[in-house]
Amino acid sequence: MAKEAEKAAEEEGGEFADFLADVSKEIAQRVESLHTRATPAATEKKKTPVVADAGVIVEWPNVADRMIEEMR
Amino acid sequence: MSVVNYGTREITCKIVYYGPGRSGKTTNLQHVYSKLPEERKGKMVSLATETDRTLFFDFLPLDLGTISGFATRFQLYTVPGQVYYAATRKLVLQGVDGVVFVADSQSRQLAENIESLQDLHANLADEGLDPRTMPLVMQYNKRDLPAGEISAIADLDQTLNFRGVPHFSATAISGGGVFETLRSISTLVLSRLSAPATKGS
Repeated sequence: MAKEAEKAAEEEGGEFADFLADVSKEIAQRVESLHTRATPAATEKKKTPVVADAGVIVEWPNVADRMIEEMR
Repeated sequence: MSVVNYGTREITCKIVYYGPGRSGKTTNLQHVYSKLPEERKGKMVSLATETDRTLFFDFLPLDLGTISGFATRFQLYTVPGQVYYAATRKLVLQGVDGVVFVADSQSRQLAENIESLQDLHANLADEGLDPRTMPLVMQYNKRDLPAGEISAIADLDQTLNFRGVPHFSATAISGGGVFETLRSISTLVLSRLSAPATKGS
């Protein structure tokens, strides 16, 4: 799988490709090492802001209220 | 903490660029954005004032595609550097996995760098995060300015980098050091990847 990621990274070209290749290697290593330790309970979704479509923050409760508060 | 989610086959990491106003945080993200292949370019969200200062934050979703069978997303944020946007900085730091501290190399900005670093530590602590162990990379930006106007790297490192974390010289305006910094913080964050054993993370 790491080789697949590296191949994909090579196709990107440029600074981003180098970055992606390095990140891919790191992830491949981490996933492999964690896989043996993973438990069935390890399925909760992370509670960080996510985007459904580019540029649209859909999961960040009260962010607008906080911004308005700061503007005052 | 960044998490490998075996249920949804996702890896999501949140990286925040922190530092004093006008140190080059937004410029870092703009350079990353400019180097993304067209098919990977989402929208970089920047909320700026008419004078181009970041008002709230910048947000760059970085979809790295499927790596080792996992949909991998990095979320890059900046905070507004101005002192009076303290609440926004706290908000952006929520759920952070790693921090890039973008310091302004100008000698006259040293006090602002120190103040911002102290602010970072205080805000991390307020969020229940340990500033001593949070993945952190220092970036000394604006190295292209005349030598008489900027501090030596050794001096900056001695003053700001008491944890001895990786540090990089950068000229973000031309892209120098930007990806090196991002690569370093990404590696640090990924090295702490964990599979959640309990609810949330």
